[in-house]
Amino acid sequence: MELQKLNVKFFVEQPDKIALTDFIDVFHSWIQATDGVYHDVADYSHMQAGPGVVLVANSANVSIDESGARRGLLFSQKAPLTGSNQEKIRAVLGAALDNCRMLEAEPALKGKLRFAANEALLSVNDRLVGENSQQSFDALKGDVEAVARQLFGGANVSVERNADSHRQLNVHMRSSAAMDTAQALRNLTVHSPIGGALT
Amino acid sequence: MDQQLNWKEKLGAKIPAELGREIDIFEQQMELRKAGKIDEKVFAETRLRRGIYGQRYDNGQRHDGKRVQRLPFNADLVKGPDTFWDAPGMVRIKIPFGGVTPEQFETLADLSEEYSDGVTHVTTRQDFQFHYVHIDDTPALMRRLAAVGITTQEACGNVVRNVTACPLAGICHEETFDTTPYAKATAKFLMGHPDTQDFGRKVKIAFSGCEQNPCGLVTMHDMGAIAKTRVVDGKKVRGFAFYVGGGLGSVPYKAKLFDEFLPEEELLPTMQAISRVFARLGEKRNRARARIKFLIAQLGVAEFKKLVAEERQKLADDPRWTDFLKSVNDPTEEALKAGISLNGHQRPEGFDAWYKTNVYKQRQAGYVAATVSLPLGDASSDQLRALADIARRFVKDTLRTTVEQNILFRWVSEADLPEFYLAIKAIGLGAADAATIVDVTSCPGTDTCKLGIASSRGLARELRQRLGEKSLQLDEAVKNLRIKVSGCFNSCGQHHIADIGFYGISRNIKGFAVPHFQVVLGGKFHDNAGEYGVPIGAVPSKRIPEAVSTITEFYMRQRQKDERFQDFIARIGKKAVKDLLEDLTKIPTHDVDRSFYSDWGDPREFTLADMGVGECAGEVVSQAEFTLAASERELFEAQLLLDAGHSQHAVKAAYASMVRAAQGLVKDQNPMISENDEQIIAEFTQRFYDTQLFWDKYAGGKFAEYLFKAKEFVGAGKTADADRAVQLLQEAQLFIDAAHDCHNKVRGGIASAPAIAPTLQPGA
Repeated sequence: MELQKLNVKFFVEQPDKIALTDFIDVFHSWIQATDGVYHDVADYSHMQAGPGVVLVANSANVSIDESGARRGLLFSQKAPLTGSNQEKIRAVLGAALDNCRMLEAEPALKGKLRFAANEALLSVNDRLVGENSQQSFDALKGDVEAVARQLFGGANVSVERNADSHRQLNVHMRSSAAMDTAQALRNLTVHSPIGGALT
Repeated sequence: MDQQLNWKEKLGAKIPAELGREIDIFEQQMELRKAGKIDEKVFAETRLRRGIYGQRYDNGQRHDGKRVQRLPFNADLVKGPDTFWDAPGMVRIKIPFGGVTPEQFETLADLSEEYSDGVTHVTTRQDFQFHYVHIDDTPALMRRLAAVGITTQEACGNVVRNVTACPLAGICHEETFDTTPYAKATAKFLMGHPDTQDFGRKVKIAFSGCEQNPCGLVTMHDMGAIAKTRVVDGKKVRGFAFYVGGGLGSVPYKAKLFDEFLPEEELLPTMQAISRVFARLGEKRNRARARIKFLIAQLGVAEFKKLVAEERQKLADDPRWTDFLKSVNDPTEEALKAGISLNGHQRPEGFDAWYKTNVYKQRQAGYVAATVSLPLGDASSDQLRALADIARRFVKDTLRTTVEQNILFRWVSEADLPEFYLAIKAIGLGAADAATIVDVTSCPGTDTCKLGIASSRGLARELRQRLGEKSLQLDEAVKNLRIKVSGCFNSCGQHHIADIGFYGISRNIKGFAVPHFQVVLGGKFHDNAGEYGVPIGAVPSKRIPEAVSTITEFYMRQRQKDERFQDFIARIGKKAVKDLLEDLTKIPTHDVDRSFYSDWGDPREFTLADMGVGECAGEVVSQAEFTLAASERELFEAQLLLDAGHSQHAVKAAYASMVRAAQGLVKDQNPMISENDEQIIAEFTQRFYDTQLFWDKYAGGKFAEYLFKAKEFVGAGKTADADRAVQLLQEAQLFIDAAHDCHNKVRGGIASAPAIAPTLQPGA
């Protein structure tokens, strides 16, 4: 299985502290602060457990996603990834954590937003690459476990799959040890540089 | 492993050969375009005919509220006028008569997740749309749709668009007969037909089972058919009251009766003949005048009918005209369960309110059709999959999209409704608001549409939330009103047929561009879009919720017993409503409250067309602004004359208001301009039309042409009937709106006015 179009979601601790629509202003400020990196902000705050607020770019979308009735930052890589599968997983986890860190540091949200870095949902957003089957999961599991161990700093790791066949191929990785995003990002980069490339 | 395959290989024979070939051709054309072997404009129409639209930022730039930024698309190549090749765009998916299945829902859910942003949007013409789709993904997307029997072919472009039909067809108490097989046959027959490939503009077709209900909205379509029967030689035969030349757009036209009884066997050949006449004689160069409605207005319906009859005689017999008639009486659907009434079943909390607004008792005993309200027409992938599961639990393939951007589940056994309600409530779709004032319809507006002026979805979201919070307290008369919002005058949100409609415009207030909505009242959704509303006045966008409260509270206070909203507006007069809204037209200055200078759900400073207007021009109100304001007042007086039945006077007053607006623009450059209309129009033409300063980015010189046409009409001393007078007044409104835009543009420094020496007027 050659991975592409990976999605990663890190969940928000205490989501009730911030209105979903507050992220609209933040994402617009990101557009204004960068030179044309991002295209648009899509507001789906009227939907229940929907895509939330989406910051659209050519190579990847970043959203405050409410699917599964759990708010989190969803990083959706669209442009092709290079490297080994572990490098690709590490690259999107790193990019997602970078975005989490940027949001946590936003003055308008500071003190109100924290992401739990001891849990992440990885999914393959291309059913041609991998359907949500046990066979695909088995093919992916080893690479995910290896990166998850690194992400969680060697703590015990569990990986499991939501087996609903209509869903994307997905792996829910968890560690029992609490961890913040800064530590998780350090874990990803300290032991080995983040390989793979986001194009 | 699967990853070695592409979707074409993986789906193989599941893709119908005809659709597969179409997609292969499109993929080849994409390659040729990339190789520079297809002209850009030709490719633009090619992709549009496959449902692929550019989105708002596709010109490669976007105003971020502070400045225009170039967006870093990777390709130098464009996929059509102003649209960069790799700029994500919109894909429209055609759903004839709105008929959709659970399997199709699941595919749409997968595709929206993989290629879009996880949202499937239902449009006001029963289509689906995805946004932010990369063109390189479109062949795969199309193949996966084709594998479940859906096409994007001719969803856009100058062709026959989605054929719509009443979603209650076949289950309705009042219909003459089920129009579903006719809508289906029409969609199939006309799609890709050689006689429908050379239009100057799109053609929209709708079917309705009866005259009195709104579902088909026949009279606002280019071609519309209302089911009729007639006894011939003692036998009941089927046919249609057939209408032509309707359309909303910037100036709405009601369709004219073409044939009070078109026999069913003549339906398809007549549509074919109309297509041929339209292709031959319809306008091709000026898009703004290229719909069938303009051809019919030009020829007159009698002459048009004669030409169609002649064309019909020339057509060689085609078995497809009548083959489908053999099975029109066959059942098109079946229920999953026996029809059992609700009597005695336990009702969960919230159920009764939902039942009242969202459930329709079918004419088949024990069955109901249940509307699932989608907020702003949006469903997430998870919701679509859940709806597919719910459909399989309660019904078969009997789902339909509606023009009010919802999903209708038909053939639900009434006894199952409590469980059905709990199931949809669990996925956040149990709102008791179908066909109520809360269920606001909206086009995409500035969110994604290149033509959008104001945020229609933002306004709709806000209204929906505010009205939803108090929906249980609303009086029935108010609750049953409909609100429809368009982001601009083009009317994709169908504001003309709402009780309370809005369309986005921009106004300049002390040097700042301010999002506004024109309030349009008195449209009629019933009787197949029986009446079009008329503009009352412009209200700042952020004041629209107050305007809705003001209007509805006034209606509650002043309405006579059982008086309908349209009748109420007609009785009290537009002036009274305008006076009522007067206070709401004022907003704090920019330094006091900047929120009025941004649109809904968008913190950026409001700007038109991402072009960076709105620089403060100081506190001085120019003569031009005064004159533009005067033109609006004069137009309003014209409307009052029209209401009083003085069409001729109304037309003259409307023309005068247009001249006044033109004078306002000229005054900025030539303060000595006279009051003489010939002189004003000559200078307006020289300074604003010939220089294209007045031109709209997309509509070109269309709005100025309204002025020239009005001058010709009034100058020739022609008599205006009521229809023509209404049109002329609407054109005057659009001209004045465009004059405001032009004024903002020139003052905002986007386009510098060319130096043309003031002309001294005789007698000035």
